[in-house]
Order: sequence, then C-alpha cells, then structure tokens
Amino acid sequence: MAKPVKIILAGEGGQGVQSVAEIIAEAANEEGREALYIPNFGVEQRGGVSVAYLQIADEPIGAPKFQIGDIVVALSDRAVHRTKQYAGPETIFVYDSGIENIEDALPKNAKKVLGIPAIEVSKKELHPRVFNIIIMGAVIKATEVVAVEDAKAAVEKKLGYKFEKNPKLREMNFRAIERGMELVAGIL
Amino acid sequence: MPEKPIQGEKRVFMTGNEVVAWAALAAEADIMYGYPITPQNEIMHYWTRMLPKYGRRFLQTEDELSAGFTTAGGVLAGRRAFTATAGPGNTLMQEPMSMAEAMRLPVVVIVQQRGGPSTATVIYSQQEVTMTTLGGNGEGLRVVYSTANHQELFDYTIKAFNTAWKYRFPTFVLGDGYQAKMRESLTMYDPASRGITMVPTEPYVGKEGTPGVDREPTHLRNTYNVEEELFEVLEQYLADYAKAAPEIAEYDAFDTDDADLVVISHGVVSRACKAAVKELREEGYKVGYFRPITLRPLPVDQLREVAGKAKQLLVVESANGQLDRLVKEAIYGNTTEMLSLFKPGVGVTTEEVVARVKEIKG
Repeated sequence: MAKPVKIILAGEGGQGVQSVAEIIAEAANEEGREALYIPNFGVEQRGGVSVAYLQIADEPIGAPKFQIGDIVVALSDRAVHRTKQYAGPETIFVYDSGIENIEDALPKNAKKVLGIPAIEVSKKELHPRVFNIIIMGAVIKATEVVAVEDAKAAVEKKLGYKFEKNPKLREMNFRAIERGMELVAGIL
Repeated sequence: MPEKPIQGEKRVFMTGNEVVAWAALAAEADIMYGYPITPQNEIMHYWTRMLPKYGRRFLQTEDELSAGFTTAGGVLAGRRAFTATAGPGNTLMQEPMSMAEAMRLPVVVIVQQRGGPSTATVIYSQQEVTMTTLGGNGEGLRVVYSTANHQELFDYTIKAFNTAWKYRFPTFVLGDGYQAKMRESLTMYDPASRGITMVPTEPYVGKEGTPGVDREPTHLRNTYNVEEELFEVLEQYLADYAKAAPEIAEYDAFDTDDADLVVISHGVVSRACKAAVKELREEGYKVGYFRPITLRPLPVDQLREVAGKAKQLLVVESANGQLDRLVKEAIYGNTTEMLSLFKPGVGVTTEEVVARVKEIKG
C-alpha cells in the first residue's frame, strides 16, 4: 500500500499557509485522488503560529494528523521552532532563508534542510501578496504530489473572481508558482 | 416547490460542518435551532446560507438550553428539526434531551466534540462520549452514531433523522473538531436515488379530529406524581429500547478471527487504528480491528464474540477511558486482558497505535 504524502505548512497568521494547503488539496481532489487537509484551528487564529496538515494519497487516508512529515515548510522564526518536531530521517525541511538567527533551531535529523528566499523574491520580483503562492510552487516541486497544471487550475478556481477584474493577477500568481518551483529545483 | 438540493450523486471536497448542513438538507430537515459554539459554528453558517433557496428555516436561540427545547418544540409540531452543539453546549443540551427522552421526541443533535471539561479547548476530543450516551437524568434512552469520516457524516446525518422518527428516541451524530474542520472528499447523494425513504414526520400536538372520538387523545408527559406510574411508563420505554437496540446497533471489523490482540476504537480515532492494524498485519502481527459505530446502543453481541476469541483487547481513544467503560460493561464476565491507549483531548496518530501494540507484543 502506497503511503500518503504528508505535508506540514506553518507560518504566521496572514502568511496564507492555510490557503496553500487548501489549494493543493483541491488540486489533488480534482485529479481524483484522496486528499485530507486540516488546519490548526485553536487560538492560533487570534495570533500565533498557523499550522496546516495535508495528506495526499491514492487510497482513503487514515488519521488526520501525523507525527513526521515528508515535507515540512516553516515560514517564520516561531514556525521553525514549532515544526522542527515533525522532522524525521526522510523529511525535507524547507524554511525561508530570510529568517535570522534560526540556524540552531533547524532540525538536525532531517534528510534535507533547504533555505529558500521566498520572502525576498516575493518582495523584489513579484508582490508580497503572492508569497504563499511561491511557497505552493516550492511544495509542488519538492513533493511532485500534484501536477502544476492542476495547481494552476485550483488557483484559478479559488481566485478566478479576482482574476476576472484584474487579469494581471493571474499572470503574477502563475509566475509565483513557477518561481517557487525554480527556487527548490535549484537546491534539491 | 423548491428543487432538490442534490440531484443524483456528486463527488465533493469540503469540511465536515459543510457536509452536515448538506446532509440535513438532503434529509429534508425543516428547521435548525442553534446557538454558536466552536467547532460546529459552520453547520449553522452553511445551513442559513442555503436555506432560503430550499424553503427551510433557522432560529438562533439565546443559549443551548433553548436550542434544545426549541428543537423539541419543532418536533412536537411535526417538523423534522435538529440542532448542533459541542462541549459546554452539549452539557446544557442534556436537560432538554432528558425531556425528549421522557416524551419520546425524535430530536436530532449533531455534536462536534471539543476538549473538556468546561470551556477547555475549542479543538478536539472524544470526551463527550459519556455525556452524549448517558447524559441527563434518566436511563440514556437515545441513539448515538459515532462517525469517522465525511462520507459517514453525510450518511449518518441522514440516517439519524430516520432512526429518530422510526423509533422515537433522541438521536445523536457524534463527530468531533477534526471532522468538523478538516476537508476531504465524499459522495453526496439524494437519499431517494439510493432507495432511502425518509420516515414521514407527524405532529404530536394539534392533530386533526376530536380526541377520544376520532382518535386517541394526545397525552404528553414529562412529570409524574406517583412513582409507580413513572415506573410503568419507563418499563415500556426500556422494553422498546431493548427491542430496538439490536436493529439499531452497527459496527465495523476486520481481521478479528485469528487475532491475538484486537484494537477497539471509535470515531476519528478508528482511522488511525485501521491504518495501524493494516500496517501491523503486514509486519506479521496477529492484530484485529473492531469499531462500534453506534456507541448507544453498543453492538454488544459482536463485542462479546470478539472479546471471547482474542487474548487481549486494546482500547484506543482521545479520552481517559470513556469508551473503555462502555466496552467493559458490555463484555462483563469476560476475562480477556484489557489494555489501553488513552489520550484525553488530543488526537491519536497511526504511529502511536503501532508503537503501543509493539510495546505490548515486545
């Protein structure tokens, strides 16, 4: 039995990690696969680290939460501290390389620890608002869990009403997915 | 006549709270009475968003006591009525549910368990088992379905209305915070397309005709002056419940025939246990899986059979032995070793169940 791909995304409230998890889950569902996404929905909503648990598989998925992720993405100082417990010998741990003084907190036991300049790229090349979409691209590339076309279709489904008013947003979001993929491809 | 909310079958991807609202629509529920509490709020949100299109109704009450009593009132008027709550709301709901038991009112309650006691967390637990199965002053003459995934949330929400109206006992769908908030796929359907007929509703009060002439008088009571009088009524109720119990009880099991150790769990935890048992089997461990779907009434005969064959039973739950107590009572007299993995107020992962079994088996 093929095991599900297990993904954890963590960041500060407002960074959009929950949207990313939801979009990837929707993309997988559209492919006819099984997907399960559950947010942490406690007091984090009122300020704190927001964590999304996502699993994608070809068969019905078991428990909604899990102990070790195949890919763990931490997008803030606090998110790194919060999620290093989810790293194991097979885990790819991705963090934003713009986070300072975090070296000691990074997991020592992960298969790979990758720093990507997502925040910087979003600010300088695209727009801070598509920061989370860059992360989505990175996750898709690192896991190959859904096809990029399906991810774009899921973004279209979620944000299409905004794209109608401003077609440039579509272009920017799709560009963000590709940039995210490139950032990871360069160091995998 | 508004169109049916669901035509034929449809694969969807949504949260459990959304699933419940759709299921209630599909089940032809007339009205929801509710008071907001996390993690079930979105049941109300989705219901109120959809109801104008389908001619249904909603009343927000001032608390869960009134939500429970107004749901009972809706049923008295012959409406397919339901409510949803969690945690401290479920506590308050026990008083109206006791009255519903006393008057045999087919109210339907969706519970999305959160951590307890009191306000505790807004998130998740399986700590509302004792309260939901046996809460209130009375004997717990009610039905409790414990769902494990979104498909079941849909199936059993529809079924709950039929069980309630067929047997006239308050009926609960016991979900939890994880099920409420997570997204996964399921197939929604129009019950009629699968041959499911909704049991017709009828008013308890205000019936046509002259009482005592054209029909029996309606005599609704939840209070008695004479203890023998109450005893007589309860004897009948208890007999009705005992007769209905084997018809209502449901379970799911596999690999129990040759198992040394059987893992017993319910609800969302059973997903972790199912995956763990499959994984352990692949590694050569003789383990089995048993899950009561109804926690009240329990599938007693099947539990006793499983307990009779296995050498060890491992009860796994996100509570400190609430399911365990029910199981022990059901298999009373059996000497099979009882082991546990209790994590009150926290989710249980597949990895933890695997580790616990390996710890037991060495």
